[in-house]
Amino acid sequence: MALLSLTPFLSLAVFGLLATPAGFLRFKKSKLGFAPFVCILGLAIALVSTVWLGFTSSAPVSFGGFQVDLFTLFFSGVLLIVAIFVTIASLQYMREDPNKGPFFGLLLLSTLGMIVLAASMDLILLYVGWELMSIPTYALTAFRKKDPNSNEAAMKFFVLSALSSALLVYAISLVFGITGSTGLTAIASSLSTAGPDVRPFGVLAIVLFIVGFGVKMAVVPFHMWIPDAFEGAPVTIGAFLAAGAKMAAFAAAFRVFIVGISAFNVDFYSTFAIVAVVTMSVGNVAALMQKSFTRLLAYSSIAQAGYILMALATPFTTTNVPLGLAGGLFHVLNYAILKTAAFVAAAAVATKLSITDLDSFNGLSRRMPQTSLSIAVIFLGLAGVPPLNGFFSKVMLFTGSIYSPYTWGGYLALAALINSGFSMSYYGWLIKRMYFDEPQDQSRIAEPRVYMAVLWAATILIFAIGIYPDPWIRLAQSAAAALVGSRGL
Amino acid sequence: MIGLLSIAIFLPAVLAAPTFLLGRKNPKMAKILGVGTTAIVFAISILILVVFQYGQAGFQLSESAPWAGSFGLNYKVGIDGISLPLLMIATFLSLLSAAGSWDQITFRHAEYYALFLIFETGIIGVFTSLNLILFYLFWEIVLIPMFFFIGIWGGPRRRYASLKFLIFTYSGSAVMLFGFLALYAWTGTSAYPGGPSFDYDVLAVRIPNLALPLQLAVAVTTFVGFAVKLPIFPLHTWLPDAHVEAPAPVSVLLAGLLLKMGGYGLIRYNLLLFPKAVSVLWPYFTTIGLITMIYGASVALVAKDIKRMIALTSVNHMGYVLLGAFTATVAGVSGAVFQMFSHGLAIGMLFLMSGYIHEHTGTRNIDELKGLRGKMPQTVSLLFLASMAAMAVPGFANFISEYLVIQGALSVSYLFAIAIVAPALTVGYFLWMLRRVAMTPPVGPKNELHLHSILILVAFLVPLLIFGVYPPPILGSVIAPTVEKWVGTIVGLGAR
Repeated sequence: MALLSLTPFLSLAVFGLLATPAGFLRFKKSKLGFAPFVCILGLAIALVSTVWLGFTSSAPVSFGGFQVDLFTLFFSGVLLIVAIFVTIASLQYMREDPNKGPFFGLLLLSTLGMIVLAASMDLILLYVGWELMSIPTYALTAFRKKDPNSNEAAMKFFVLSALSSALLVYAISLVFGITGSTGLTAIASSLSTAGPDVRPFGVLAIVLFIVGFGVKMAVVPFHMWIPDAFEGAPVTIGAFLAAGAKMAAFAAAFRVFIVGISAFNVDFYSTFAIVAVVTMSVGNVAALMQKSFTRLLAYSSIAQAGYILMALATPFTTTNVPLGLAGGLFHVLNYAILKTAAFVAAAAVATKLSITDLDSFNGLSRRMPQTSLSIAVIFLGLAGVPPLNGFFSKVMLFTGSIYSPYTWGGYLALAALINSGFSMSYYGWLIKRMYFDEPQDQSRIAEPRVYMAVLWAATILIFAIGIYPDPWIRLAQSAAAALVGSRGL
Repeated sequence: MIGLLSIAIFLPAVLAAPTFLLGRKNPKMAKILGVGTTAIVFAISILILVVFQYGQAGFQLSESAPWAGSFGLNYKVGIDGISLPLLMIATFLSLLSAAGSWDQITFRHAEYYALFLIFETGIIGVFTSLNLILFYLFWEIVLIPMFFFIGIWGGPRRRYASLKFLIFTYSGSAVMLFGFLALYAWTGTSAYPGGPSFDYDVLAVRIPNLALPLQLAVAVTTFVGFAVKLPIFPLHTWLPDAHVEAPAPVSVLLAGLLLKMGGYGLIRYNLLLFPKAVSVLWPYFTTIGLITMIYGASVALVAKDIKRMIALTSVNHMGYVLLGAFTATVAGVSGAVFQMFSHGLAIGMLFLMSGYIHEHTGTRNIDELKGLRGKMPQTVSLLFLASMAAMAVPGFANFISEYLVIQGALSVSYLFAIAIVAPALTVGYFLWMLRRVAMTPPVGPKNELHLHSILILVAFLVPLLIFGVYPPPILGSVIAPTVEKWVGTIVGLGAR
């Protein structure tokens, strides 16, 4: 029975390997080929089994360093939703591309890497998941191989990611040197009794972990690659990087810091608090100055990463699960939906207008009313306007921060709220462009059905979670409890 | 069981969808559904008036249901003597403003009335919710339709004004939200049995035990959010732009209802929840109120645009609310609540009239409106009456409310005698405006309003005159019992 809990992983692996060859087969006249459908089938099986496992399994199932618990399933659900949205949008976006097989195959394998990250309780497995997630995304970013922007973006992304992987390996080896183990629970028990002689190495390992994860999470000052990568990559891959890879990096960071390192008597919470404030402030201020839609999304995603980081700045006790951590996980879910949908909307605009500078959004509501409406909802959700989903997770994150035993907790929350208020300036500005400004070209644009399906699905989710958040909050709380529980102390 | 309040809150939002869908093809349908819904909601509020038990101090018609129980969130609504007058002007002004929009809004009717109904849900929700997060939710719901109202249906500088409005008020409410979240966290520790809560009644019991620095932190941050909306002197700059650029019926909503959200929040949360903080902060808050009163009146004196002048009247008159509330006396607080009621009606009438005048003459410049008596004699008579209401001439409800505020202020300190300057200035700028607009030789040709427009305007006057001549039904049996109870409580806890 325990093997059943591997269904999501196996489904992704099997269908991921099948997708590439399936790309060579196609229906008689359709350009699409079988690859996208194999991809969707794989993701659907994975998502259904994840949900089913989430409802039925009570105790975590562990295979050595590979643990399937509610935390794993939570992230797996979030990342699979992202992957499904990205795949469906790519049906349209990659319609003209001859290499659909590899595209969808790589997408699945990268998703597999992401959920392996969420499942890993061992640093070696974590690193395998990390690379399995990263390497396909380099290729996906460079997928438009004749487009110099795409290549430049991929190059920049690759160099920085490779650096982050190297730093992670270094951090892992340091931790292994101190504790003699790569399993997170063993590391935790060893670190809790660590003497003063190993302390500098432990601190160095923590710094390296923060930097290593930080590159993928795009926290300031390791955020430089994000705007370029999002702009150069195919737009749907931008969604995959922003909502998928980034959140998977958070999953890894949650596991490593909360399960492994929290036992070590080092105040990494304050570090995360500072990084969080800097990240959200830089993201929000820079977003205001952008002239391209994808770059604006990139900086807004940097700012959102700052909010999620507040979850790592919330210290916890074993007796109760902190509100901030549950809020962080809830925000991961909401952010993933919002950001994926935002990129899909960008893809819808990009396929029709060929440019995505902000001026082309002027008066968009008259040319693409459905797209504009969903962009407005998504942006209000990102800004945290109730009753949309982003509001409740922010409230939980910020309240969690005020609860924190540190005296800076309140200031952190205040800084985050001021940031949140400030962020309305660029979200509102874009809504103003779409609804209040006059378009240069009045002609109505046909909105592709595939994108609209994704956007409407996302919009309904955004409202549904926002209006009745209770089950989702419970879900995030039990995922957070599973994470804290997996410390096994 | 769904109660009257929930129906009043959610009916407009539910009917917004059919209004939008049916109205897209057929603008007339949108108008009928929009105005019809506001009329139904007004009828429900009349029903609430009938059911309401007068002379009682507690919350009535309360409803409670778990909403996000995992996070201490409950759906909790109820009204007392402070919220009832505001609920009534909310439904009444919504109806009149929707009716006034019939002529004054000329395009995109489906979107307009759908947003209008969402706005009404928000505003009724603000005045009735008894849970901090629920309150915040409705508070923000009001914001979004208003942003679109100004941005789409506004005047020439609508884009600038709408964005300025959005950024000002959203930033203010983000700071306010900090106060709410901090309350939840600081009263959610093990020292307070029962777990953390956002419920108003729970917090009202717990907060007096909160240490003074924490109370101050929450009182100051929430004050920022409410003060932006009210608005107070340095944070008011969004107001003239938003009010002037908004279409006239929306200005009615802005001045008549949106500003009252700030005043209501100040009284309901800032004043009544933090007695210790009030004892420290009241001199500052009342002084700010005083400055706002006098500043608003002085700026209105030099306004050339009649709509801008009316907009600045709001700054002037909402200062009374701040001053009256933080005297923490029965007279002052009752006056503040009554002032919101009467100012909402008077200013609504003035704004709607400015819209009609603009529509019929093509100008809002006071100097160009010379001789308006010849063109619109009946409107000018109504303008006289509305101005008299705004000047707080005895016989209008505004007189009683301003009198109470100043009485409350003087009972606290004779220094507040300076407040007398404000009504004097108010009379000054209104009379000067009337002299230029109405008391100049008439210029024809006649271009009078339709009868239905005049009836809408007269509707504003009815409650103003009734309660101006005979205030006890609202002041004695609705506002006073609640205010007496609350002020007694907070004074007992050291607010004075």
